[in-house]
Amino acid sequence: MNYPTKKLKSILAFSFMICFAFQSFAASWNVPEDQKTRNSYIKFDASTASQGEAIYNANCLSCHGDPGKGNNLKSLNPIPPELSSVGSQNLTDGELLYILNTGRAVMPSFKNSLSEEKMWHVISYLRGFNKNYVQTLSSFDPSKSKLVKLVANFDKAKNAFLIVAYANEKNGKKALVGSEVSLFVKRRFGNLQIDKTLKTDGSGQAEIVFPNDIPGNKTGELEVIVKLFDLNYGEVQTTSRLAIGVPTNKPGLNEQRAIWNVLEKAPYWILFLYSLGVISFLIFILYILNNLRKFRISGNK
Amino acid sequence: MIENNQKSNKNTRREFLQNLGIVGVGSLLAGSAFFAARKYDSKKTAADRVKVLTAENKLVEIEKSAITEVEKTPATQLTYLQKQGRDGIAGSRFVMVIDLSKCQNARKCMSACQNAHHLRPEQHHINVLKMQETETTQPYYMPKPCQHCDNPPCVAVCPVDATFKRQDGIVLIDNERCIGCRFCIAACPYSARVFNWQEPLNAQADEGLVYNVELNVPQKKGTISKCLFSADRVREGKLPYCVSACPNGVYYFGDENEDVVTNGTTKESFRFKKLIADNAGYTLMPELGTKPRVYYLPPKGKSYPFQEKDREEAAEHLPI
Repeated sequence: MNYPTKKLKSILAFSFMICFAFQSFAASWNVPEDQKTRNSYIKFDASTASQGEAIYNANCLSCHGDPGKGNNLKSLNPIPPELSSVGSQNLTDGELLYILNTGRAVMPSFKNSLSEEKMWHVISYLRGFNKNYVQTLSSFDPSKSKLVKLVANFDKAKNAFLIVAYANEKNGKKALVGSEVSLFVKRRFGNLQIDKTLKTDGSGQAEIVFPNDIPGNKTGELEVIVKLFDLNYGEVQTTSRLAIGVPTNKPGLNEQRAIWNVLEKAPYWILFLYSLGVISFLIFILYILNNLRKFRISGNK
Repeated sequence: MIENNQKSNKNTRREFLQNLGIVGVGSLLAGSAFFAARKYDSKKTAADRVKVLTAENKLVEIEKSAITEVEKTPATQLTYLQKQGRDGIAGSRFVMVIDLSKCQNARKCMSACQNAHHLRPEQHHINVLKMQETETTQPYYMPKPCQHCDNPPCVAVCPVDATFKRQDGIVLIDNERCIGCRFCIAACPYSARVFNWQEPLNAQADEGLVYNVELNVPQKKGTISKCLFSADRVREGKLPYCVSACPNGVYYFGDENEDVVTNGTTKESFRFKKLIADNAGYTLMPELGTKPRVYYLPPKGKSYPFQEKDREEAAEHLPI
């Protein structure tokens, strides 16, 4: 008697959870339509899944847990979803890619740490937990990016980069309209994005204002990277070295005289007091020795 | 003619005997010399050969007679790694920013650090503390590495110049110089240093490794160990072990001279001064004048709860 009610309860709870999961997914991620319908150009197979598993274990496992085992970190708010669940698997490939790219609240963005290829590998791994999944391959050809010509010229008067992008198609030049353009400055541990990611206008152009307070090297040189992403042509980037930064030549942090520094860089007052102490002590000893000598002489007399 | 012939014959025999004598004595001499040389060579074993460490840190064996003394310079006295470790990276001033609002006590930073520096589980270069300022305020987690002060009290008290500050701001300890007096532990207001009371964790496995002052490996019993800002990784242009291990985007690391810090999780870069100004960044115990190179962003708008067991532990430290 007790058993069926328990079962019913659990079924009810489960179906409620599924509905809840659907709702939370639908409500929270505002994926743009053109991103939603994106598909992978990489065919998902065992090799892409195993590569994806390694990436998943390094980057996602600590919060989302092992797919299918339900060991996701439930202390977080919102709770990171179990990725083999129906709610997660109902998302399109494009939506998953968008989520990986943007991140939200507790979930970090992987835009800078994973390439698009690696993200597809992770998605390939996750799709392995969905038996009903059938991949729709995208007709995108990554070699098309070779056709793209990306030119970035620095305009000194405007203090801005004028970026022009076009593709050398068989039937002549074609301006890339509505492609994402972003400007970066190379730094020691990562690239600093300047301004926001812009979209190219009708003539395939974009203008990004460059701030005048970016520190460069001793001569003010900077390595500037321009990245372009187009849904049809993929990712293209150009790099150039320009003297548009603030010349920076700060002394080392152990240059100054300080009590903690090496002996040659001890503060002058310490050197002075120490030498004064040693010299006065020596003078004192000489004075005593001289007095002892005088005693001896007077005693001998 | 006959007489001549006889004479020549006679001469030949005499000459022959003469030559035979010369050759015989000669070969005898040569043989004995060879024998003596062989004997000398075989006798000359460990005592006549000596192991020498080259400037490139290679152990070679040469004969004692081949040694010529080289005038000592500071460069040859120190091993290559020690010299490199003392010099630091020119033109940089490394800085770390810790965002307390993101820390969830995942402790990946601690395990990555302990793995890299071969530390025992109870030894921490970086430690995640449970903090509660007053009874009414919210508790939070606070990772605490060495602050790499610009005015380091630990360096001032070291009697043997074992701990030092580099031009790029990193404070390191040379375990080969450290005498284990622990003055620096007493001087550090942040309790950032640990002492190797016992034989280090991987003592046997690490035997024979060349000591790297930028990694503190192999660790040495009876000496100090401390957070190194992962000087070996930074030299390669990589983020420190703890920074890149964090799954929650707590850590930012970068070069103050470049005015940029990079998040270890998202690899996203931000202007350092703007990040500090916009989020009310602060340093620990600024009243001491130690000028730390580690900045904290306050635990504002946390999106995770504090664990109940941790709350009890944090409350233990509240002032009565």
